[in-house]
Amino acid sequence: MAVITISRQNGSLGDELAEYLAGKLNCAIISRSYAMENFFGESEEISEKLSDSAKLFLTEVSGQSGVTYKDILTNRINEIADDSENLIVLGLGGCIMLKDRQDVINIRVIASMETRKKRIARRYNVTPEEAESTVTIGDRKHKRFVSILFEQDLSEAEIYDLTLNTDNLSVEECAQAVLALAGRRAQRSRISNETEKDDSIDHQSDTPVFKNETEAEFAKILDMYGIEWMYEPKTFPIEWDEEGNIKMAFSPDFYLPKFDLYLELTTMEQKYVTKKNKKARMVMDLYPGTNVRIVYKKDFQELVERLKSFGG
Amino acid sequence: MSLILDDAIDIKRIVYDEEAIAKRVKELGAQITEDFRGEELIVVGVIKGSVYFFSDLTRAIDLPIKIDMIGFGNIPDTTSKTGVVKITKDIDVDISGKHVLVVEDVIRTGLTTAYLIQNLESKQPKDITLATMLLNPDRLLMTIPVKYYGFEISDSWLLGYGLDSKEVGRNLPYIAELANKI
Repeated sequence: MAVITISRQNGSLGDELAEYLAGKLNCAIISRSYAMENFFGESEEISEKLSDSAKLFLTEVSGQSGVTYKDILTNRINEIADDSENLIVLGLGGCIMLKDRQDVINIRVIASMETRKKRIARRYNVTPEEAESTVTIGDRKHKRFVSILFEQDLSEAEIYDLTLNTDNLSVEECAQAVLALAGRRAQRSRISNETEKDDSIDHQSDTPVFKNETEAEFAKILDMYGIEWMYEPKTFPIEWDEEGNIKMAFSPDFYLPKFDLYLELTTMEQKYVTKKNKKARMVMDLYPGTNVRIVYKKDFQELVERLKSFGG
Repeated sequence: MSLILDDAIDIKRIVYDEEAIAKRVKELGAQITEDFRGEELIVVGVIKGSVYFFSDLTRAIDLPIKIDMIGFGNIPDTTSKTGVVKITKDIDVDISGKHVLVVEDVIRTGLTTAYLIQNLESKQPKDITLATMLLNPDRLLMTIPVKYYGFEISDSWLLGYGLDSKEVGRNLPYIAELANKI
């Protein structure tokens, strides 16, 4: 489904979120300790030195001309991501390291100093002052590591897709938000990949603006049934002129990812219905494997009726 | 023929009589028996419409099946004007890793069936197939796995053998067409 990178402040529950998500997605976590144990050979000395000095990551690996420890770190994580259905990268500047991948979701987990201090003090049975010192040192180390390796400030908001403040959010609530986002991202990637392979046009980034009340009402019906939908995520060109310019295209109103199905609403006159039917057939002919169904006025009315008196 | 069931319900004609229904249910039962021989099958009826079809069909399946029923309804929700659809009676038997056959009275758009499938899939059965007494293939919007159906129907208002009109008429032993929509 996705590669999820988690950057976190000390005591923000970022580690707990990573563990929880790994359990839900049944996937591995690449953390700093995992990388040190598995990426740099059997020499404990090197791993220890890398743990102590971020600058060492920029030096050449002995016997490998032009290859730095940073390269090894980046390449190994990308390789594992390529081979995994899901993966969590905790810390390590994962959000910057993997920024060119389409399947990545970058999460930042934060909390107020007051909350983090309390958590650390309780967890390690230390005074609030000691907790504050632990939190501050930890944050500084993370920041320095990312700054040295990638020359970027990890507290910059724009490098993340989603920032979660755990002052008032539980790990489970955060996980639900991340999983929902990951699910949508996976669908978006799939549609984007399809549009790269055929002539259809991807406009998933557009904000859904319903053209009429019927569409808004239909979206409500789908919501009521808990059926996930996307509004006009794609346009299918269906007729071209001799120079290859698009003469006619069709953008079905709704896409239901779970059922891999496009729905076009028609509550208008019969002559438009016939036209829409023709367009739907053309899409299915020109784009094999694409399912388009027309929702007729009577279907729509029946569904609306059910809202009033639910039958079963 | 025009039978007046009560003041409001006017039956135009009987579409499928008791004999036709019994014959078709027997055929479906035999087909399901053949398809699931040697497999573990759980048959789930959808409350309330499927109750008579479910009862007859399960007795026509000559296999040691388990049965259960599921019900759902529209629950008012503070965040939505239309409310949300929720399971009001969930299944009690464990369906994980098992074949599940969902039994419906009628499938038109398939939206309610799609909702049920989504819900049952979260319990990780081996697979889910559908049996419905009546199917309107022209109206089917959703891509759902209808494998067994009794009769194809078109756009008419039907009653009996589980189908109701304002909760009346479910217990008629035949399927009838209403003279007009109630």
